[in-house]
Amino acid sequence: MFRKTTLLVAAISVVLLFGSVAFAKKAYVNGIDANYPPFAYIDDTGKPAGFDVDSLNWIAGKMGFTIEHKAMEWSTIVQSVVSKKIDMVYSGMSITEERAKQVNFSDPYWKVAQVIVSKKGADLTLDKVFKGGMKLGVQSGTSEADLLQNQAGKEGNNYELKYYDSAPLAIMDILNGRVPAAAMDIAPADDAIAHGKALEIVGEFTEPEFFGVAVRKEDKELLDTINKGLKMLMADPYWAELKEKHFKDGAH
Amino acid sequence: MQQLSVIIEALPYILQGAGVSLAIVCFAMGVGLVMGIPMAVGLVYGHPVVRNLIRLYVWFFRGVPILVLMFLFYFGVFDLLGLDLNAISAVSLVLGLTSAAYQSQIFRGAIQSLPQGQLRAARALGMSDPQGVVSIILPQALRLSIPAWSNEYSIILKDSALAYVVGAMDIFTRTHFVASRTYEHLALFINAGVLYFIITLVGVKLLLALEKKVRIPGYTH
Repeated sequence: MFRKTTLLVAAISVVLLFGSVAFAKKAYVNGIDANYPPFAYIDDTGKPAGFDVDSLNWIAGKMGFTIEHKAMEWSTIVQSVVSKKIDMVYSGMSITEERAKQVNFSDPYWKVAQVIVSKKGADLTLDKVFKGGMKLGVQSGTSEADLLQNQAGKEGNNYELKYYDSAPLAIMDILNGRVPAAAMDIAPADDAIAHGKALEIVGEFTEPEFFGVAVRKEDKELLDTINKGLKMLMADPYWAELKEKHFKDGAH
Repeated sequence: MQQLSVIIEALPYILQGAGVSLAIVCFAMGVGLVMGIPMAVGLVYGHPVVRNLIRLYVWFFRGVPILVLMFLFYFGVFDLLGLDLNAISAVSLVLGLTSAAYQSQIFRGAIQSLPQGQLRAARALGMSDPQGVVSIILPQALRLSIPAWSNEYSIILKDSALAYVVGAMDIFTRTHFVASRTYEHLALFINAGVLYFIITLVGVKLLLALEKKVRIPGYTH
């Protein structure tokens, strides 16, 4: 009798386990900032692409879930996770205290310098940018926008923020001469320079930030899956391959 | 001509966005039409309570910027109602609700421009009021509304570019994506402008043709 029950339980659990893997592969939606090359963008065939997109596809394959990448408006993307329009943001999102109040973050997977960019040969210094009464471009809804808002007017700071929808738009306005400088992650700045845009990096203006994957607070299981996947990815040779593919000059 | 090759390469992708923009406009115009006609009839012939409710609706949707409405509905109202709408349907619905407010005014104006004696004449012929409105008033009023309606079409088409803020993949959202990848902003924005212009032109011409087609020969009121 005892054996029969055990067998039955074992059989049921095998079916359930197998079933959950084979028949009910979990499907998640990832929100991306498609204006953030080379981490996430839309390639020439109209498909989401980039370092983060490739990374997550790899993790999805290993961890056994399906993933759809959805281009979203960045300034409201955390709100979109909370209101369940998407399940996660794996798209160059800096881990910040402010965001961590609303979503949980995975382990960091990327360190990114925060830089000031200007036109090439503009001969600016960080001091001139922050204290010279200049206009300073920044992408709205980003961690650097938050920081600069808080720092405005403090410690002799004297700048006027001008907000853009994406880092490339801020860069275009530098090239057009409408703002002398802009604050952003180093990735899009390097990307623009790789595209032959006449820009230079004035310097790092604050501590580097770390990118992590944002998920809803209650989705502990998903967070666990992502963390495991990230660990596997970063230990795999594919990680180096991805870096080579996306961060080589003008790779996309 | 680096710019030209970027545009040619990206055109199929952006043109899919033209499909999205058109779908948004058609749906919004449809919602506006279906809601706008009864609202106009209500405004002219309705009970004072009905009239005031419709006026309230019109005030709200004419008074609040579409951009604000989009955020309000996409991140608030639809969620509260438990509606899981994607960006495209949300934008279409918001534009449709807004357009209903404007279209009700278009139709109201057309109805009021007709001689009031017509409805009395219809009654004299033994028609009920609803019958008179449906078979005498509206056929004339709707014909008169077409010019203003084509105006509304071009306005909604251009408003549909606001879909960008909630990430619906319309012409402009796609244009921005391609620009971020290629850094050919100017050329791509010009291209987007030309696409909107062509769609406006074709739509307005079609509506003009419709206006001529349904015109009753020799009829003026």
